[in-house]
Amino acid sequence: MSWIGSIWRGIRTWAVRLEEFFLCLLLAVMILLSCTQIVMRVFFSSGLPWAEPLLRHMVLWAGLLGAAVATRQNKHIVIDIASHLLPGFLHPWLALIVNLFAATVTSLLAYAAVIFVVNEAAYSQGSAIPGIPFWTLGLIFPFCFTIMAYRFIVLAIATTRQALTGKEPA
Amino acid sequence: MGILKIFPLILALLGCPLFVVIAALALVAYSGVDIDWSVIFIEMSRLAETPMLISLPLFIFAGVLLAESNVATRLVTLSRVLFGWLPGGLAVISLLICAVFTAFTGASGVTIFAVGGLLFPALLKDRYSERFSLGLLTSSGSLGLLFPPSLPLILYGVISGARIEHLFLAGILPGMVMLALLGGYCVRQGGGSVMRGRKRAEILPGGTESAGPLAALKAAAWELPLPPIILGGIYGGYFVASEAAAITALYVLVVEVFIYKDVPLPRVPAVMVRSMVLFGGILVILGISLAATNFLVDQEVPDRLFSWLQQYITSKYTFLLVLNIFLLLVGSMLDIFSALVLVVPIIIPIAQAYGIDLVHLGIIFLTNLQIGYCTPPVGLNLFLASYRFERPVTTLYRATLPFLGILLVCLAIISYVPLLSLFLVELWGGG
Repeated sequence: MSWIGSIWRGIRTWAVRLEEFFLCLLLAVMILLSCTQIVMRVFFSSGLPWAEPLLRHMVLWAGLLGAAVATRQNKHIVIDIASHLLPGFLHPWLALIVNLFAATVTSLLAYAAVIFVVNEAAYSQGSAIPGIPFWTLGLIFPFCFTIMAYRFIVLAIATTRQALTGKEPA
Repeated sequence: MGILKIFPLILALLGCPLFVVIAALALVAYSGVDIDWSVIFIEMSRLAETPMLISLPLFIFAGVLLAESNVATRLVTLSRVLFGWLPGGLAVISLLICAVFTAFTGASGVTIFAVGGLLFPALLKDRYSERFSLGLLTSSGSLGLLFPPSLPLILYGVISGARIEHLFLAGILPGMVMLALLGGYCVRQGGGSVMRGRKRAEILPGGTESAGPLAALKAAAWELPLPPIILGGIYGGYFVASEAAAITALYVLVVEVFIYKDVPLPRVPAVMVRSMVLFGGILVILGISLAATNFLVDQEVPDRLFSWLQQYITSKYTFLLVLNIFLLLVGSMLDIFSALVLVVPIIIPIAQAYGIDLVHLGIIFLTNLQIGYCTPPVGLNLFLASYRFERPVTTLYRATLPFLGILLVCLAIISYVPLLSLFLVELWGGG
């Protein structure tokens, strides 16, 4: 059975690499495209009409993908009071409750995002960027919130193990 | 219903990601009035209609890259060589460096780690007392939030709709007042006089070789033009604030990676991912709270709050006092980004009903949140400094008190003298 495990780990490594590659690509294109726009406007009084809306959507995509990575790295913004005030042995149990709750909420959000995209596909027309229908830009919502839900479940499993054995997760 | 709303709030205090807490509250609230949950994403996709938003990820990237490079060392060396002879020398220099560094790297905490770590031993060596040095560096960790192009200024602009060009101008004079008052205190504390009669090489950070003013200037030659490029570009009319972010990001990338080679090229993707993770954390909170706070505005919560407040508070000045106390509390609990995102949309209608200018309100917000960073018991700077300088938090509580007092005086001046914030805007802001 170990080969299934190793294939799964392989898939996961590649998924993470792909995710980070895409994130870097988005940021690099945002920087270069914005600068190109400035150069074209200042020196040639022209510009790419589709660049502006494309850039604004890329910001949203980069942010949501960044949030998905933040979930994997457990780096979301939190109010960090409990870890200073509560005794150490409680921490894994608290983390378990928090992760289960977060998994539930992000699953509900992912579900709501699917409804949003289905509605958009049915009712909204036109597009901000030529050739790309409006609803396809919204696909990032269900995609990223599903990933976040999955990762909170993974975190919950890891914290359960930690709570039961008292060991730090590998 | 009650328990469904209280449970997420308790989890928030136990370390649940804030966006999850806000989303849970929004889901419960939407169900309560039969609004479809997908409306959350209609609100969130409106973020793609915000032209200013792009400056956030780009300035974050530039900031993370700068923090990763050796700019802190170059900045410290340069300012010591140039201004070390001034009375109160190193303490005043520390204030200036922290302010510049925070304005460019945005997220606080970086300053305490990168710059504070260099300055703390240097301050002690210059015979400033440990208590004074700790207090100075802890409270300066968020100094500079009012100077362009700081991220909180931009975020306030994105949320409130105030023009970022105006906000950049508005922060300058209040920031100067803050620097002047803190600087005055540092001069009074003295300590810098021991510098005379010693060789310059001894006082440089990290024992770097003796550098004359010219060598130090030359070392920082590529980083010094950054502020004039940003401000000159924006107010010279060459580009808008969001484009300034792109220029800054590209410039910093080229300078730190290809000219100084502080950050090797293979490390750049990791820096990019790290900055997008920071941005992502802010963006989900921003997106979800957009939905949540719009719900509250739809339910006329700010209006009702205003009419309730009006029974007790009739004057604008009393309102400002109450607002300041409230924001100081918020600032000591929440980090600056979530505090802005959650509180600004609710407060704006109320503050405007009391006749407070949108830009002035922004400066009041940021000043409060900045002070909140070093307010006991849970101000973030206190914990960061405690970790960085390896001193108990309670020591830092005592050490920051005098600085906290001065900052509160600044807050009072900034709150009650709107002209301080609005003067430059009226002078140069244009239409």
